[in-house]
Amino acid sequence: MVLPDEYNQKMNDRKAIYKLYAQAIPGAFAIQKVDKAPCRLACPAGLNVQGYVQMVGQGKYKEALQIIMEDLPLPGVLGRICPHGCEDACRRCEVDQPVAIRDLKRLAADQFDPREIEIPKIDPRDERIAIIGSGPAGLSAAYQLARKGILSTIFEALPKAGGMLRVGIPDHRLPPEILDNEIEIITNMGVELKTNTPLSDDLTIDNLFDQGFKAVYLALGAHKGITLGVPGEQAEGVRQGVDFLREVNLSGSAPVGKHVAIIGGGNVAIDVARSAVRLGAESVQIIYRRTRTEMPAWEEEIQAAETENVSLTYLAAPQEVLVTDGKVTGLRCIRMELGEPDSSGRRRPVPVPGSEYDFAIDQLIPAIGQRPDLSSIDEVDGLEFTRWSTTEVDPITYATGREGVFAGGDLQTGPWVAIGAIAAGKEAAESIVRYLDGVDMTAGREPIVREEPVYRPVPKDEPIAARAKVQELSPEARKGNFNEVELGFSEKDGQAEAHRCLNCGYCCECYQCVEVCGAGAVTLETHLEQRELLDINVGSVILAPGFTPYDPSKLDFYGYGKNPNVITSMQFERMLSASGPTEGHVARPSDHKDPKKIAWFQCVGSRDQNRCDNKYCSSVCCMYAIKEAVIAKEHAGDDLDCAVFFMDMRTYGKDFERYYEGAKAQGIRFLRSKVHTIDTVPGSDDLSIRYVVESGELKTEVFDMVVLSVGLETSPEVVAMAKSLDVDLTPANFCDTSTFAPVDTSRAGVYVCGAFQGPKDIPTAVVDASASAAAAGELLCEARNTQTRTAEVIPEVSVTGDRPRVGVFVCNCGINISGVVDVPAVRDYAATLPYVEYVTDNMYTCSQDTQDNMTQIIKEKQLNRVVVAACTPKTHEPLFQETLTNAGLNKYLFEMVNIRNQDSWVHKNNPDIATQKAKDLVRMSVNKVALKQPLVESELNVDQTTLVIGGGIAGMTAALSLSRQGYETHLVERSGQLGGMATSLYRTWKGEDIQSGLTQLIAQVSAEKGLSVHLNAELDSVEGFVGNFKTIFAADNKKVEIEHGVTVIATGAGELTPNEYLYGEDDRVLTSLDLDRKMLADDAVFGKLNTAVFIQCVGSREPQRPYCSRVCCTHSIESALAIKERNQDADVYILYRDIRTYGERETLYQKAREAGVIFIRYDVENKPQVVKDGDRLAVRVTDHVLGLPMEITTDLLTLASAIVPYADQQLSQFFKIPLNDDGFFVEKHAKLGPSEFATDGVFLCGMAHYPKSIDESISQGKAAAARAVTLLAQENIFTSGEIATVDPQMCSSCGVCVSICPYSAPGFIPEDARMFAGKATINAALCKGCGLCVASCRSGAIHLNGFDNNQIFAMLDVI
Amino acid sequence: MSEWEPKIVAFLCNWCSYGAADLAGVSRMQYPPNIRVIRIPCTGRMSPKFALAALRNGADGVWVSG
Repeated sequence: MVLPDEYNQKMNDRKAIYKLYAQAIPGAFAIQKVDKAPCRLACPAGLNVQGYVQMVGQGKYKEALQIIMEDLPLPGVLGRICPHGCEDACRRCEVDQPVAIRDLKRLAADQFDPREIEIPKIDPRDERIAIIGSGPAGLSAAYQLARKGILSTIFEALPKAGGMLRVGIPDHRLPPEILDNEIEIITNMGVELKTNTPLSDDLTIDNLFDQGFKAVYLALGAHKGITLGVPGEQAEGVRQGVDFLREVNLSGSAPVGKHVAIIGGGNVAIDVARSAVRLGAESVQIIYRRTRTEMPAWEEEIQAAETENVSLTYLAAPQEVLVTDGKVTGLRCIRMELGEPDSSGRRRPVPVPGSEYDFAIDQLIPAIGQRPDLSSIDEVDGLEFTRWSTTEVDPITYATGREGVFAGGDLQTGPWVAIGAIAAGKEAAESIVRYLDGVDMTAGREPIVREEPVYRPVPKDEPIAARAKVQELSPEARKGNFNEVELGFSEKDGQAEAHRCLNCGYCCECYQCVEVCGAGAVTLETHLEQRELLDINVGSVILAPGFTPYDPSKLDFYGYGKNPNVITSMQFERMLSASGPTEGHVARPSDHKDPKKIAWFQCVGSRDQNRCDNKYCSSVCCMYAIKEAVIAKEHAGDDLDCAVFFMDMRTYGKDFERYYEGAKAQGIRFLRSKVHTIDTVPGSDDLSIRYVVESGELKTEVFDMVVLSVGLETSPEVVAMAKSLDVDLTPANFCDTSTFAPVDTSRAGVYVCGAFQGPKDIPTAVVDASASAAAAGELLCEARNTQTRTAEVIPEVSVTGDRPRVGVFVCNCGINISGVVDVPAVRDYAATLPYVEYVTDNMYTCSQDTQDNMTQIIKEKQLNRVVVAACTPKTHEPLFQETLTNAGLNKYLFEMVNIRNQDSWVHKNNPDIATQKAKDLVRMSVNKVALKQPLVESELNVDQTTLVIGGGIAGMTAALSLSRQGYETHLVERSGQLGGMATSLYRTWKGEDIQSGLTQLIAQVSAEKGLSVHLNAELDSVEGFVGNFKTIFAADNKKVEIEHGVTVIATGAGELTPNEYLYGEDDRVLTSLDLDRKMLADDAVFGKLNTAVFIQCVGSREPQRPYCSRVCCTHSIESALAIKERNQDADVYILYRDIRTYGERETLYQKAREAGVIFIRYDVENKPQVVKDGDRLAVRVTDHVLGLPMEITTDLLTLASAIVPYADQQLSQFFKIPLNDDGFFVEKHAKLGPSEFATDGVFLCGMAHYPKSIDESISQGKAAAARAVTLLAQENIFTSGEIATVDPQMCSSCGVCVSICPYSAPGFIPEDARMFAGKATINAALCKGCGLCVASCRSGAIHLNGFDNNQIFAMLDVI
Repeated sequence: MSEWEPKIVAFLCNWCSYGAADLAGVSRMQYPPNIRVIRIPCTGRMSPKFALAALRNGADGVWVSG
């Protein structure tokens, strides 16, 4: 079955069996299931309706029948006459009409002969069962027993088999040959059928047991009509409906009058009427005492009867049969009206007094019901019957009071539907098998009722699709014959009808996946696996539930969901992805053409409390929109016109401002505007956008596509989870945290990270993740290493000097490789290659049993080199290397050949060439592996002492965390006090007092045992590498030498001293920190000032400093509000370029506007002017809305001056850690490694990385500690074997390797060394094995283990 | 005689291009089967000697990607 692929934002489809985590390696599949579909639950026999409907939809009729015939041996019969309760339960009714399930079942049986369905053979058992009655119950029981190897004999009283199916249903609804064919299915299995053999004095139940039958199943049906109980009923011309139908069905005809009246409202009455019409009656009238609404006959049958000129009289009941000369001549009826509902829930008919009327008829056929005829069994010992003549049985086992005798079908229920009898027969068969086996007949058979079943939600946008109608014989063609009226679906109509199924249960359990899974991973058993609930004892919980993208369909003016060319940014992300629905091709959804113009709308579902409830900024959308525009241009070419419609551009992250400027230079247009309306251009799928620019001018532009930059929000599920965990949320539903404990939730021991903590980008989320790990690590320090296990070490066999003995293992990967590549040919070819001693091919080389086998083979054949030709080493090399290790071989004596990802999968249509390629690649690898040598992974101790450089907030946090996690820590600070920049800060944006938080932190640091603080420290020298550093510094004029395993760099950044806006020339011109210091000192100036002005981006976002200082917007707004608090009447102006109050800081911006702070935007080309006119200080700026210059006389001017890094070159060289152009340190990976350096053992936090707020500095401080602990906790680390080594005799000491290595691994052997002084040497601990030095070594002195020249030449020799 | 097909030796960086070639397979992209991939730990490992050796051994082209 096909479902929208959520991973690709529903832009393409997936199956119910799918890769749940699309990008996980190795990928595992999951099957999406919920409760069984309602159709299946509604079916008395529990047929897997969804399953066979899906199969019919795919034209897999045989498979459909296989599913149906699990439960039902008569698909063609029930496909015609079943009253289809399943269709009443169909949830398609919520959209339009139910799926025509019954007709689809018939289509399957029409298209494939059910007799051809192979029924799994099972060894026959000796026991035989007697079944009385060959109706649906008897046939079903015989069928299900036969499937279990138990054969039966069916005794049928009538001359033909089929019970009511045969004699109760006229041929125009069920052609007899269909029934004959399907009974054949059962007799073909070895079931014996004896017709004309009623129970009698000569054939009693006792006789049957005496004859050796081990059990008896009574399924006699209900064939005795119920009389009306009115005078005259004995007259000639009165006949029971069931008797009439039986005669018609057995002989093809029955006596029929000219004017026939039929009493009753069920299907029997209709069948009688339609048969009477066919037999030549002139008028046929059905008389029913209630109205059509209450009529139990199916609507389609009633309509068919009407089409065939049957008249229906409602609200009338017979009172007397009028008889002349013993023959029926008329009928007296009385009018009825509906009274109160009776026990059946239908309104009770009540006679209308005095409304009797007579009319002439010559035949009366009552069809008001039937009962079982008990005459042949009422004497049987142990059987009991109800007052409705039905047989008493155990409701679960269908066992009667007599041992070994079971009963079912209409005999037990009274007249009911055929599928009910089918179900009863199946249940009886189960009981009989258990009875014969002598096991509990009831165990596990209690019905399970799901109170609130979970189904796939009906898709909101499910299109209306009318239910298909089957072809019917024209009314004229029906006259005088019993030809079948309904002709069934054509294949095309039927398949379309099947596609209307909503797949309520997701997986339809067709088990086609089980059929095709060669690995035996998907089986009937694994199909049943469900989510497991596990109880785990934990000391801490980390919440990382992430966010959900805002759903823009709530905002109808964007046209999302209406115009297909309006998509979300998440959809566009998938479109750009090489693994996405368009494989990275930018195509507009409506026509798949290349768009020429794409517009991005910012702040969809963010910064908006009018149209949605998300007041906050989602933090990431500006940046991702720019990225998407840039990549779109990369994919689609420079001609693509990209325009971003935005309010404030918030590129506040590291290097983001540069990227923004780069995007502008690439021609991406940024339109500061408000979008007014979006209309589809008539006659096309283009979009016309009307928008208002800053000056108030209204513009219109047409685009091919619109991308909505949707915001981030917390899903209702996560809100519920937070509630159940008793964790507090902010008003915006993010996790509530405080500035000084940014990963602590309101519940002790529960920590948070990622976008649940607040909307944030990847690097910030990664920092949080490490920080929360540190928080948990601090809490659980004592439990460290209490639950670890140690792997067994297998001694390594020496192969040095041995002739290579290569084993080649070629993988089939099921059919992934063998479906294209001739695997046996590759295997046999490998055997011809030099040094190859053993070859084989495996179905799945990575399976556990093959691994065990390989271990044995390596030992037995004394292999000393192994080649696996299979998938990719990127995922599987470690696995096979472990196999080598287990076999006692050095794991580097291994090569992998990629014949799947890079061969069979990409050359599907060229099996011959793909096979040749596989042989070539195997040949190359065999040549290489022979030259491979065992490599040593040297072990390094990790010194358990740590050094943190920088005593600001970040450094103190890192030091405290390391110490709390059990590591002796030294914190060095260049100044005479701890606290760094925070000592000058007044208040956080959340209103917290920074000085009290700082004091507390310093107190904790001072009190922490195992944490030594060194003030007034100056670094002198640093030696060593990961795990083994030696740092010498002077602190308070004393020389200190520390050996440490890791280093955390937290040297911070400072404030720019502005050289503009009269700073330093007028006391009223301050920096942000100056202002905070005045606030801290509670300066008198605030009480009396009339006006205060802030100028933003002083020194930031300018050519000489092209980065955003990130914190200044929030800081100035917070300060503006603090001024307003002190002096409500003061006029406060903030002159800004873009307000960058990201995340929930946006609420502060809003608060400031509400408080009357005036925001005026300026352009960098037209910066404000500060003038001094006598004592008067004034700021001149051009108003961004009016476009007119204005002058503000002010008492205070605060410059939000840039944060500038110390750009410490010495530190950079000491620890071999790079600085970027701006002077900030360069982390290992901008997204995934923000708190560590590429140089192992050195970590990074705080403003030395980039400007950041206190909470972000604290997170990163903890994060650096967490990253350091991952190294420290290992105590010993192993270097890779695949590293560079120097042959000192060849080395010319040129130093190219030393200068070229990005990891500073090469160095010179000291001049005073005993041997090879001055030659290069490579530190194994630092070498990453990239080979840069090897390629650049002009003397050929450097070798790269595992990729050495001779090995690569060996491959090239045999290309 | 069948049409001439070039043989191209591809030196792919383990971390990017080799991974990309794997992804091309996962995505079932189809491309001509003329390349023979040699995985190297980084294109920094690439030496001019490898290109020369490839050509000397009969390669019609050398592709370095990383």
